[in-house]
Amino acid sequence: MKLVRFTRIAALGAAIALAVTACGSDDGGSAGKGSSAAPAPDPATLTVWQMGSGSPEQTAFLDGVEKEFKQKHPKTDVVIKYVPWPDVATTFQKASAGGEGPDVTEVGNTDVQSHIALEDFADITDMVNAWPEGKDLNKGALANDQSNGKTYAVPWYGGVRGIWYRKDWFQELGIQIPTTWDQLTAAAQKIQQAKHIPGIGAPSDQTNALVSFIWADGGDVAVKDGEKWVGKLDQPQALDAVNYYTGLVTQSKVAPTKYIGKNELQGPQQDFALGQLGMYIDGSWAYPQLEKISKANSTKWGTFPIPGKTGGLAPVFSGGSDLAVWNASKNKQVAFDYITVLNSKKNAAQFADTLKFLPQFDDVLKSDKYTKDPLMGAFAQATAAGVKFTPTSAGWAEFEQSKKVLPNAVKSIMQGQSAAEVLKKANEQANELLNAS
Amino acid sequence: MADTATLVRGAPATPAPPTPSRRKWPKLKFGPYLLILPTLAVIGLLLFWPMIQIGIMAFQKVGTRQLRGEPAENVGTQNFTTIFADDEFWLSLQHTLYFAVVAVGATMLVGTLVGLLLNRLGKRMSTFVAGGVMIAWATPPITAAIIFTWLFGTTGGLVNWVLDRLPDWLVGGGWLDYNWFGTPLSTYTVLTICVVWQSFPFVAVSVLAGLRSVPGELYEAAKVDGSSPWRTFWSVTFPLLRPIFMVLLVLSIIWDFKVFTQLFIMSGLANRDAFNLSLYAYSEAFGSLSPKLGVGSAISAVLTVILLVVTAVYVRYMVRQGETA
Repeated sequence: MKLVRFTRIAALGAAIALAVTACGSDDGGSAGKGSSAAPAPDPATLTVWQMGSGSPEQTAFLDGVEKEFKQKHPKTDVVIKYVPWPDVATTFQKASAGGEGPDVTEVGNTDVQSHIALEDFADITDMVNAWPEGKDLNKGALANDQSNGKTYAVPWYGGVRGIWYRKDWFQELGIQIPTTWDQLTAAAQKIQQAKHIPGIGAPSDQTNALVSFIWADGGDVAVKDGEKWVGKLDQPQALDAVNYYTGLVTQSKVAPTKYIGKNELQGPQQDFALGQLGMYIDGSWAYPQLEKISKANSTKWGTFPIPGKTGGLAPVFSGGSDLAVWNASKNKQVAFDYITVLNSKKNAAQFADTLKFLPQFDDVLKSDKYTKDPLMGAFAQATAAGVKFTPTSAGWAEFEQSKKVLPNAVKSIMQGQSAAEVLKKANEQANELLNAS
Repeated sequence: MADTATLVRGAPATPAPPTPSRRKWPKLKFGPYLLILPTLAVIGLLLFWPMIQIGIMAFQKVGTRQLRGEPAENVGTQNFTTIFADDEFWLSLQHTLYFAVVAVGATMLVGTLVGLLLNRLGKRMSTFVAGGVMIAWATPPITAAIIFTWLFGTTGGLVNWVLDRLPDWLVGGGWLDYNWFGTPLSTYTVLTICVVWQSFPFVAVSVLAGLRSVPGELYEAAKVDGSSPWRTFWSVTFPLLRPIFMVLLVLSIIWDFKVFTQLFIMSGLANRDAFNLSLYAYSEAFGSLSPKLGVGSAISAVLTVILLVVTAVYVRYMVRQGETA
């Protein structure tokens, strides 16, 4: 009896081991198929990676794109694979190590430079130049996809952050749309006093919003001097901006301590949607998510651009996604053809609308459709005023994602450490990590 | 093990003279080893091989290029000097140690108390309670972590709500917006509760199994002598169950040293001041698009060495126990 049971367990163990390895090899097999039909001009399949968990709308949209794509390449089937955002880093790590990558991939725009440094993406300079609609691509966004004069990706959709507020409360309390930092603090104070809820959310893990304040003050995280990145976090402008942001928690006390150590999705978004927070910083893309949390007040939500320190608009970080051809793909031209369909002006605008993002063509952005939209207007306005990027260094991923230098610096300042000292240390890390090869 | 026992026992039953059974032995010499071979192969493949790899990579620079097939560059002990020079390593080590001491202590204490309780309860009630605590044990760590994050969360968190309802003279005020995951101490408080909640049932049930094997006469004798429950526990129960407690202690230390999932969910990478060694290794190795597996391996190697020392102490104790017994 015992012996029988034991062999069963052993067999089970071996089966599990086999299953594990089988899964591994299966992945390789199917990915290989897509590219193994190399010599023929039209491959049987084209593998496209999309980031996020997908939605029925997205699938329907991509089906339409495939139909259009098939007019040019009738023999090629497009295989879509959704990569959930939390799995993105590990999935790409495996792809670039094992070569079982896609033909076309969506990529978060902050990751583009790291991929270029790892030689994940194909050089598509000539193909982009030969693409008629490519000439209207937003130059600032495209610059983020270039390295040493070569183009490795094209911007697909983008978005900037603004400040979400409650129109009804602003009206009731007689608050004007803030155009300076002092006015922003005052507005938050008024809401806090009248509504007994925190005036604004200032989470410590929101670098993409924090940089707007640094830029608005004339500072920067780091700038490129020749071949070298030089950290600017120890400069008075950055110090002043970080002091303002952290001061919302520590000085004026219009932002609660409960968001320390968190990002905008781990509290502020829920609280704002539920009417328990006066204002918070997020992108236009937050709208579907906010509605999912609570629809009760959705008609009262409004947005305004992040103000400059003493007026004007703060430069904003452009978040979003780009499209690239995977370097290991055997069908680079076909892959780029797919990109031109997916990112045609018509399709890009349609897709950006469903996600509440903005397309990345200058002429489309300047059309009334976006500038006159009540919700998107603020974001289009901010985009037009100028978008900026965090340092386009391959080390940025290490600085921001892995080491999370700024979020941790902001956190410790919010908890009472000296801003000057913390930023000095963060600056040393910027100098080291952004220049690491 | 199992088959030799049955074979030896089976031998005298055959009418053959006693010598042939002894002559059978050489044939069976490799039998037991053959039987553990599949297990060994699986463990070797899934455990030893990765461990050897970690040992090698700890002295190399391994990034995406190396994973793609370029030969890994040997860097000697550079990975180790890097982490030993990093304040965060020492902070993480400190957190790991403190957490293990507190969590292991609490797990053993709560587990033993519940085990004693289960032994006292009637059959039905005992099954009911044991079933209840086993659910906590069976809960996947990731599920438990998410539930505890919600319980201690600021928006709709039950714990803050309850604390806020309680009278201020008892617990103080301002709990509604209290950020449990803002400082290391409060983060680890929640983490300890979560981990202990999940790990004490195993201790409780193991202690119960041990208690069931203690002859009732001993307790009767203790009672006759007028021994207090406290005295009975330390003079009768504990000495008899010492081997079980040792196993549970070592297992708990190993488990609590490598807690990762719960902390990753609760405070994540944005709170480096609350890192433990596992999280520190993860953030170095897999945190960004460009992995640094060499440094990650070096941290894992340190963690492994610490656990090997703990295990060695335990094995030494067990061997000595065997000698005296």
